Amino acid sequence: MKSMWSLKLSTAALVLIPAAIGINYLGKLFASLLKLPLWVDSIGTVLASMLAGPIVGAIAGIVNNVVYGFTTDPVSFVYAITSAVIGLVTGIMAYKGWISNIGKAIVLGLAVGFIAATVSTPLNIIFWEGTTGNIWGDALFATMLAQDMPLWLASFADSIVVDVPDKVVTVLLSFLIFKGLPKNVKNMYDNTGEIERI
Amino acid sequence: MNNMTLYVKKDSPVHLVDPLTKLLFTFFSITLTYIVSNHLAVLLILLCTFTILVAGKVFKYILPVIGVSFLLILSIIIVQGFFHPDRETLLFEVGPIPIYKEGFSIAFLITLRVVNMVSAFGVLILTTKPDDLVNALLRKGLSPRFGYVLLSVLQIIPQMIALTGKITDAQRARGMETEGGLWLRFKSFIPLLGPVILNSLNETRERSIALEIRGFNAKGPRTYLHKHETYRYGLHLKILLTVIFVAVVVWRFVS
Repeated sequence: MKSMWSLKLSTAALVLIPAAIGINYLGKLFASLLKLPLWVDSIGTVLASMLAGPIVGAIAGIVNNVVYGFTTDPVSFVYAITSAVIGLVTGIMAYKGWISNIGKAIVLGLAVGFIAATVSTPLNIIFWEGTTGNIWGDALFATMLAQDMPLWLASFADSIVVDVPDKVVTVLLSFLIFKGLPKNVKNMYDNTGEIERI
Repeated sequence: MNNMTLYVKKDSPVHLVDPLTKLLFTFFSITLTYIVSNHLAVLLILLCTFTILVAGKVFKYILPVIGVSFLLILSIIIVQGFFHPDRETLLFEVGPIPIYKEGFSIAFLITLRVVNMVSAFGVLILTTKPDDLVNALLRKGLSPRFGYVLLSVLQIIPQMIALTGKITDAQRARGMETEGGLWLRFKSFIPLLGPVILNSLNETRERSIALEIRGFNAKGPRTYLHKHETYRYGLHLKILLTVIFVAVVVWRFVS
């Protein structure tokens, strides 16, 4: 088996990246259409990492935020790093077997949410002194500041309450979709296996 | 169908500038507002950005883009104004709620920075076709395979949205409910998204075969379909921008 860090991307893996970004976009669209209280805007990134590994996942994450920044909201450029880390973590943990059943998938979701919040916190503090623009998170942030807790802790809590539920739902949805995919689709992007010669 | 870009076609000097120069401007403009923490200086940078937008005849198009970040700005003003840790000087009271001077001063500074960030990107986004930017990057040595990835996103998303419309109609025709309580709406997520995802993953197979047949992985130099656009004042502007940037950075750390 080749390692999951191979930088030589197959054409199928490269073409997966725009599809993943489209899926991210649709997830976000559906979440707002169905008026769900979450973003669910990284299903594509997570799915790409499960299918093709951490490198493709990370690239999909960065390109997603760059394209979204170009077409809708420039603020999303700031969070390109967070998206990349989401792709990396999912890819590595999926490779290590954390998507073999639904219980492990929930743990994966918690881990991704926790790490995403950890990466977002310094960004939030540098760029906007700790707020996230999400009403629930910012309400908690304000309450904690009012009780004179340190800024970084309040900002971290702000990110956690928003990111962890969102990422658990995202990873679970991606896991259910991933399990439902036919085998020939799953094998298409897998550049870890050797090609058998007859 | 082509609604994936914010580009506005206008005849202005800003449109004629090299995309990479505008990219450099965006980067410098945003970095400077975060290096300088003086309200007046940040306001000046913002005014510069606005001037360029006006010169590019696209100022009114930036307002809805700033509007997307409205919630972020609003929460910055409310949260920092009331609760910033350095709160000391009472500015005034609204009923029982005290408003502090330090918090508002910081909230104002961050708001200026956010608006400048969005506007500086606006200079690039509103006056540059995505194709032209990717083309300029390709000529600077970006891998053509990667250039394809960037541009194809803009084509794939409208296609997928159209497909989603079809699938939503099909599932509704089969009796799936998409309106109702939170749990009901949540349950309809997978039957809606599943088929779209499977379909688009299947399409990637066809697309990658089509690409490989056409020499996507070919080695050697590539040619361009469109001839090289000649942009004006590229080098001069880049030098000017760099000089201003270095000057402000030096001024910031010396004074």
